[in-house]
Amino acid sequence: METGEDFGPWLARQLKLAGKNQAELADELKLTRAAVSAWITGRSVPRPTMMTEIARALGTDIGTVHTRTTDTQAGLPVTWYHRPGYQDGGRDGGNAAAFAFDADVQVLARETCQNSLDERLTDNGRPVRVRYTIHEITGETLDAFRQAILWDELQPHYEAVSEAAAHQKVGRVVHAGVRDMFEKGRLVLLRVDDYNASGLVGDDYDNGKFAAVVRRQLESLKSDRGAGGSFGLGKATLWATSALGMVLINSTLSVPHEGRTERRVIGRLELPWRSVGDGTYAGPAWLGRPDPDSPGAQVTRSWWADEDIVERLHLTRDSDEPGTSFLIVGAHDVASLDESNADRVVDDENGRDGQEDDGTRDIRSMHRRLVEALERDFWAAMTAGGSRLPLLETSVRTLRNGQVVVEEQQIDPTEAQPARTRALRAFYEGTTVDRLTEPGQVALRTVPLKLPLAGGRRGTHGTHQAVLLVTDAGDKDGVPKQVHSLRGNRMTIKRSTVAGLPLGVNSFQAVLLTGTAAGEAAPFAEEAEEFLRAAEPPEHDRWGQTEELTLRWSHTAHHRIARLTTEVNAAVKELVARPKRSGDEGGAKLRKALTVSPTKKTTSRRAAGPGLPELDGLDASIGPAGEWRITAEVKLPRVDELPVMTPVVLLDVRSGARPRLDWAELVAEEGCEMEDGVLRFTPGARRAVFGGATDVTSHPVRTALTRLVLELRAGQGE
Amino acid sequence: MKFYPYKRLNRPIALRVTSASLKLPDNTRDLLDTSAWSVPQRTVALGVAQHDDWTSARIGLSATLPPGAVADDAPWTGLKVLVTLADGETNVRTSVELRQDAPGSKEWSGFVEVNRDDHVGRAFLSAQAVATVDDVAGRSVAETDEDWTVDVTADEPLGGLRLDVKQVGFAKSSREWLHAYADAPWIVDASGRVPAVLVNTDVEGFADLLDAESGGMENKVHELLVTQMSTDVWTAVFHSAVGDLETESDGTPVFPTDWRGEVLREMLPDVAPGVHVEEALRRVHRRRTGDAGWVELQTRIHYAAVRRAGVSRALSQALRALQQSNRGDHA
Amino acid sequence: MIEKPYHVPLRLGLLSAAAAEPFLTEDLLKGVAGHAGVDLDKVVDRLPEDDPRWEVEPLRDLIEDAKHAFEDNRTQADAWLAPRLHAALRLTRREAADRRLWTHLALAVAPDYVAWRHRSRTTSKIGPERFRGAPDRQCFSRLWWAAEMFRDGADYTPVVTACGNQDLIHSALRRELIDHRPIAQALVQVMERGVAVTGREIEGLMTAVSAAGATLVYDALAPDVPRDPGVVRTWIEEAAHVSVPRRVLPDGPDEEPVPKKSVSDLTDFFADLFETAPVRGRAVKE
Repeated sequence: METGEDFGPWLARQLKLAGKNQAELADELKLTRAAVSAWITGRSVPRPTMMTEIARALGTDIGTVHTRTTDTQAGLPVTWYHRPGYQDGGRDGGNAAAFAFDADVQVLARETCQNSLDERLTDNGRPVRVRYTIHEITGETLDAFRQAILWDELQPHYEAVSEAAAHQKVGRVVHAGVRDMFEKGRLVLLRVDDYNASGLVGDDYDNGKFAAVVRRQLESLKSDRGAGGSFGLGKATLWATSALGMVLINSTLSVPHEGRTERRVIGRLELPWRSVGDGTYAGPAWLGRPDPDSPGAQVTRSWWADEDIVERLHLTRDSDEPGTSFLIVGAHDVASLDESNADRVVDDENGRDGQEDDGTRDIRSMHRRLVEALERDFWAAMTAGGSRLPLLETSVRTLRNGQVVVEEQQIDPTEAQPARTRALRAFYEGTTVDRLTEPGQVALRTVPLKLPLAGGRRGTHGTHQAVLLVTDAGDKDGVPKQVHSLRGNRMTIKRSTVAGLPLGVNSFQAVLLTGTAAGEAAPFAEEAEEFLRAAEPPEHDRWGQTEELTLRWSHTAHHRIARLTTEVNAAVKELVARPKRSGDEGGAKLRKALTVSPTKKTTSRRAAGPGLPELDGLDASIGPAGEWRITAEVKLPRVDELPVMTPVVLLDVRSGARPRLDWAELVAEEGCEMEDGVLRFTPGARRAVFGGATDVTSHPVRTALTRLVLELRAGQGE
Repeated sequence: MKFYPYKRLNRPIALRVTSASLKLPDNTRDLLDTSAWSVPQRTVALGVAQHDDWTSARIGLSATLPPGAVADDAPWTGLKVLVTLADGETNVRTSVELRQDAPGSKEWSGFVEVNRDDHVGRAFLSAQAVATVDDVAGRSVAETDEDWTVDVTADEPLGGLRLDVKQVGFAKSSREWLHAYADAPWIVDASGRVPAVLVNTDVEGFADLLDAESGGMENKVHELLVTQMSTDVWTAVFHSAVGDLETESDGTPVFPTDWRGEVLREMLPDVAPGVHVEEALRRVHRRRTGDAGWVELQTRIHYAAVRRAGVSRALSQALRALQQSNRGDHA
Repeated sequence: MIEKPYHVPLRLGLLSAAAAEPFLTEDLLKGVAGHAGVDLDKVVDRLPEDDPRWEVEPLRDLIEDAKHAFEDNRTQADAWLAPRLHAALRLTRREAADRRLWTHLALAVAPDYVAWRHRSRTTSKIGPERFRGAPDRQCFSRLWWAAEMFRDGADYTPVVTACGNQDLIHSALRRELIDHRPIAQALVQVMERGVAVTGREIEGLMTAVSAAGATLVYDALAPDVPRDPGVVRTWIEEAAHVSVPRRVLPDGPDEEPVPKKSVSDLTDFFADLFETAPVRGRAVKE
């Protein structure tokens, strides 16, 4: 049986929810107020017979009172609370951050995984597991879901926003989202779950992770890394991904709140300023239980939902392992629309895009793009090696009304990033080498990062030794000759191509491990971590000049990072390119001009020049007398006058001159005439066909051992 | 177009170098860095500054057969994969059989020994899949489409034929025959193993200009000079290549196997456009040895050299630079 | 008639074609008058002093003997001289690929032999390629390479057979087919069996072998054994201590002989190729 919370705090909350005080309950139960007070403060517990009475007083069943795993439904029901418009009539409500981005599931993947990595429970050493579920619902399932989210309460708000759609980008997005749901009768739910993470702990309003995500969207944009926890820009992308601006949350906490851990549920809606009925509303709305402590008990707060509610909200979690589930309602992926359809036909291995769209194209494409982003940005966090478990495990699955559309796909970084994962694993396992002599090897170099003194003082605080790994790469690893730079959270921060390498350098991939990623023994790892973290913009996609870097160190501090890049490039070059022998005479340019490059030969010069008929097809067989019988097709250029051509049949040889065979027979079949072994093409024809047979007495070797060569030579031959 | 009278694979074998080591006079082996070979250039450079005295090199290879080669229903039996090292200058041809990595695998690997005494410059590696097809043994069913080059002297894996550039003071050279050219800034010697450009260091400042890597107008002059020189060189080597052709008994010219062949294959498409290189060679040879047409062909040879040397680009850049500097003067 | 130069160098050197050009005078190529050798010696690049292989005297003696022995039938001198030149002038293939060495031997050391051996009976002219030409045309390099390509390990006997037929070495040396030793040996066998003997027949056979080589891999049909580079090295090091016998054949480098089975398989195959060829020895076009 589930262990609920202590009776005292539970009862206190139920009274509050029901709008009763201790005296009123005491009256109903015909007890003294002191007896009720003793229960609430935990000095005593009611007798079992009294439990039935209490249940009746709270309007609930005896089981709920016994287990106390959920709140009674007694008080005010779960509802949407819309933040009222400003007194001064300002219309600037709404989350600028959530509206600033185009919906892009790849950005979402990046931000959500990064948050999960930051919120990973580290004590048990296990990875944080992140699972993406794309779930398209239609028909009854959709109806039931709309009921669960109290759509009828929301509809007037959406209508108000739609009316203003013409004036606002956000309005247009929301309008399209609502229309999509009704006209096509479908809704895409994108769920992001993490397990073995801290969950949304903390009070509903005070500093803490819960409030940072649910309440203070704007504040934490100031990359407030203290009180706001690690949820920075990331959370805004959750709302940005929803065409309806709606995200529902169910969190299992690692640290109990109000004595509970499971099914802390709340929903948040992001809408622009709107006027509905008599009221005006500015920005967000929350789905929750009205808070009796708030003015007029109108503000809603998270509630401890029962299993049934969670199920109906599509928020059921797999286990009681701590972590959070975000349900993005009406998920869309504007960025995928930019990709041309041609790309998709090539990319989709199932080849489904070549067929009639079965209506799953959107969600399949979303699935594919999520996988892509996870492979690209989190391969390092997902890589294990030696005794080290990965920091992160991810998977993506796609459903439609509960039926599998794309099977759950565990992201395997070695599949998509074989070279880089090999490099990192070799580092973990201690199998790196000094020099690269064979494919598959991973070379290691340390590269110095000189950390400046804080506070603008001149000088170096210490030298961090970053770890550079270089290994050969194949086609699968994407853009060749790149360095992926990471720090402790193993997310690829920076991708840069090594410049200035000589011609002919073999394809390679390099990984730069900085900060705590460089290993426990690396000097000044924590300091480097802090320094580089400060050098990351909110997008976490590069290192360079930032406000924080300037404030905490100096305005020249970013030069230290530029120097690191120079050192990295030099180290890579030393590993992959041969040092040039000195003493070359006569200048590099002249030498280059005097080289016959073997690769140049492949730049195909057409066998025939422009305006000449060209052989376009050849079919051949050996006839009964041992003669070669051929049918050849000629492509004719669009020119006024077609030159005559002579078909010549030769035998290929190992070396030397190719023996020429005689024709026994040459017949024009289409688009041409044959005259004394010379082809005359019909004016205006685009294609000609002729046939022929060789004179077997001209064969220098028996025919079965020959390779036939057919050529068209301009003119009448010799 | 070509046609084989038996079933084979259309796609080529992919051949890769996986390691290279040098055997030194004391019988130790030195494993070379992977930078000794270049996959994009398909070249192995065995010349390493610190080991000029190596006796042989072992090159590790792996080959991937095209799809269908090892299928159960393949129309052949007894499949083997051979790698051949061939050097036309020293008539060396060594074949080694690769081993299949696992039964049924399309990956095969092995190594080839390159004997230092057997090569002067470049040797070529190719792979062939050989099998018995329709009871005929030893048929080639697939091969590499492009050779790997093994250069025993180059220190950079750049492949390709590189003409020699030497700086000499002509007037006082120990090569007395150069004295006759003392007033020329450069001459082309196409008689050696590979053609060489001899740069006369007696012409003051000339060698410096050639070595210069500075920008600006000087750079443009440098570029123009380089194109001028290489036009000369390409014209000279083309003449030299076409002037020394071997012929079959019926007078058909044969492609030389040394640098001459490479130069001809490179330039003939511009000299005689629109025909197969063999046919182009025949035409050029006929004009050179016949009664007429050789003089007329000079324009085309010059055009091929100009194209090869990239004259148009260098010239237009120089002109643009000149215009810009003129505008700068007026401003 | 061209005589031995007044000044014969003591040691072999390297003579580039560009440097040699002024000495390939019309008189020389007409066989009228040679050069004195003094001026020529000034444009020669020297070879290392400490290597006894570059001493000219043993080579000069050999050449004199060849001239003397085959005074009446100069083409037969090839079969005699080829193995003995190969055994006297011991080179790696890398060294033998340097044309400057052969140009020096022909122009500075033995222009008289070149003139004697290659002066045309009809035009009285000597082709300049006999002095400084391609390896298969130059007077001495063609002999050395013929010996190198046709010897069966230490055994020079096949060289004698091959060089006994001008058509064979002419036809074979310019094709890379004979770079595979079993092919070279099989060609000699086919000739010895009398299957293809005349120039036309040999040319026809070579064409057939070459055309079939576009689909067949001889390296796989008739495999060779790997060569041991140490053997040739040792043989070269012994150069100073050996003089070349005149009456019997010298011994070549003691390399592994060509596998017998490969040679006999290929011989049968070539004979069959030739006999089943629709055109036999007819001069084929192109």
